[in-house]
Amino acid sequence: MEEVKARLREFVRSGNMPHLLFYGPPGTGKTTMALVLARELYGEYWRENTLELNASDERGINVIRERVKEFARTAPVGKAPFKLVILDEADNMTSDAQQALRRIMEIYAQNTRFILLANYVSRIIDPIISRCAIFRFSPLPRHLMAERLRYIAEKEGIVLKEDAVDVIYELSEGDMRRAINLLQVAAATNKVVDSNAVAAVRPSDIVELFNLALNGDYLKAREKLRELMYIKGVAGVDFIRAFQRELIRMSLDDEVKAEVAELLADLDYRLTQGADEEIQLAYLLAKLGTIGKKVRLGAPPPKKR
Amino acid sequence: MALPWIEKYRPRSFAEIVNQEEAKYTLASWICTRYKAPKEFCSRWAKKRDKEISEAKAVLLAGPPGIGKTTVVHALAREINYELIELNASDVRTAERIKQVVGRGLRESSLFGYSGKLILFDEVDGLHVKEDLGGLEAIIELIETAKVPIIMTANNPYDPKFRPLRDISLVVNLKRLSEDEVVEVLRRICTGEGAKCEEEALRSIAKSSLGDLRAAINDLQMYLSGGKKVLTVDDIKRVGERNPQLSMFEILDRVYKARWFDEARAVSFNPSFDWEQYFVWALESIPVVYKELELMAVAYDRLSKADIFIGRIKRTQEWELLPYALELALGGVSQVKNKPRLPPFIKYGFPQRLLVLARTKEVRRRRETLIEYLAQNLHVSKSLVRAELIYVLSVLAKHHPHVIERLSKSLGINALDIKNLL
Repeated sequence: MEEVKARLREFVRSGNMPHLLFYGPPGTGKTTMALVLARELYGEYWRENTLELNASDERGINVIRERVKEFARTAPVGKAPFKLVILDEADNMTSDAQQALRRIMEIYAQNTRFILLANYVSRIIDPIISRCAIFRFSPLPRHLMAERLRYIAEKEGIVLKEDAVDVIYELSEGDMRRAINLLQVAAATNKVVDSNAVAAVRPSDIVELFNLALNGDYLKAREKLRELMYIKGVAGVDFIRAFQRELIRMSLDDEVKAEVAELLADLDYRLTQGADEEIQLAYLLAKLGTIGKKVRLGAPPPKKR
Repeated sequence: MALPWIEKYRPRSFAEIVNQEEAKYTLASWICTRYKAPKEFCSRWAKKRDKEISEAKAVLLAGPPGIGKTTVVHALAREINYELIELNASDVRTAERIKQVVGRGLRESSLFGYSGKLILFDEVDGLHVKEDLGGLEAIIELIETAKVPIIMTANNPYDPKFRPLRDISLVVNLKRLSEDEVVEVLRRICTGEGAKCEEEALRSIAKSSLGDLRAAINDLQMYLSGGKKVLTVDDIKRVGERNPQLSMFEILDRVYKARWFDEARAVSFNPSFDWEQYFVWALESIPVVYKELELMAVAYDRLSKADIFIGRIKRTQEWELLPYALELALGGVSQVKNKPRLPPFIKYGFPQRLLVLARTKEVRRRRETLIEYLAQNLHVSKSLVRAELIYVLSVLAKHHPHVIERLSKSLGINALDIKNLL
């Protein structure tokens, strides 16, 4: 990250900065870097001079255009010659919307600079890439993540065991945000954070749903599903991801595990293609029930003591 | 594949369209004077020379449902070998969407050697003032600027909101069909299907259709569903004449108790069949009908696959895929292997989803406020808050009550409510 910082610092020093594109997996510091840069550029006025947008939350390119237009109308506060638009999840925009975005970037280039944040640079159209200075953010290596976690633990007065760091690293896959979340949740329920405390961290609602379905109680599972979907607002794909994580920890026959994994992968596809998430998830719950049934029938009868 | 007869027997050429001579002449004259069209076509159909026709920038086809407005346009496109770019009421038609679809259509060069493009805005009276924001304006703008012919259809072109559209378009009225004309078409279809249909039966269908040919053809297909080859006037009396307004319960009953695939599929030809509603009710009722997990999973698998087609249709507007979705959702859900004998009365139950959504509206609104607040202050997207951070927060809240107090103060939602949201 040192090299990135050096180059960005140079932009701040010269007061001259191109549009920027930060890309890399989640939790690698893209947003943080953008916000730090805003503070460096504007000092105490960073809020006034920065517009934060999230491409997946804003409804359409028109909303983005309007907000940028409104924002770019007034001159920057303080000494910096331009204002800053931070557009998160830019790779979630369709290519048509990105074309429109390119136009917006050009129109307001006089007094605004864009920082685009993305997970995949391949999903950003070439004309935008060619207008930006590009910075790659990589998942954190183990030793850096460990260092940071220990630092946080010390500040918060948490006893953090070394085996917990291993598990956190493994579960978070270099995603620092997820790592810190894991640490915080584990620390909220345990005085001493060890590997068991970390492994126990997971949304119990979704795990309960998974078990209801596998046990073949479809109607109860459906009720739970609706509660999570319609009251708690859990998105379809999040169920799949949570089930996936849970599957790894379960003690099931390998064949059954493979079958469930195949089903989950299939479901992910169906969810992206289908129109109605509940229909897709209803199929998942029923199908999990049939897989679970095979296990229940195939398992040796419980031993009587 | 069981194609709906209204598709199967849809006229492909101008000559096949019954009794709309006046409209056909006007339309052809307009096309031939303003755009490129084959000579033979023009010399046969372009019989009018009015200034009003040659100066119109677009055409608005008007008339009651089911008399062939859309068919005329499809036939026209075929006659002059133009590619048809179509947006109908089932699409979202905001200004943005219209520009996107039409823009893409006009930009991409057509395959198959079409000699031009023709834009059809079907059922413009279905434009929703709020949901299709700016749709009407976008159409008008397009008419003013586009170099390709634009045709719209509407049931009632005299709606005040169409005033600006009417001003720049030529309104062409299509006639309501007479009973004789409807009977004539029905008779042709009976012959085409190799069915023996009593004259009186056809007349009875035609009569109750009130000149709506589409409704009449749908009725005929329903009466002859399941491969029946004879239609008598008694059949019609038995089923009851047109518009047996079926309730959702009756529709589900017909689907689940259908003996054959075709019989279940044919339920969609009933005029009161609404497929969007059907999907929601089927979702609810599958476990009521199929109590065995295996059967349930098969039925849900088919409904899921049907929904994938619906998703594709919604994204790409490929409405020709709808038959696949309907076959899977009706025939597929009805005909599962090892289907049990169903009891005479099944208590299908109202879709709980709709009740849950209605009941939890307020909770969801508050939750959305909370999520927005968190997304903004933590500099992340709302979906990330939903997927990961809410859970972190809920655990923290259990152990540190001050978390809830702070949120409550910032959001102006009382602490107990916030606790329930997490």
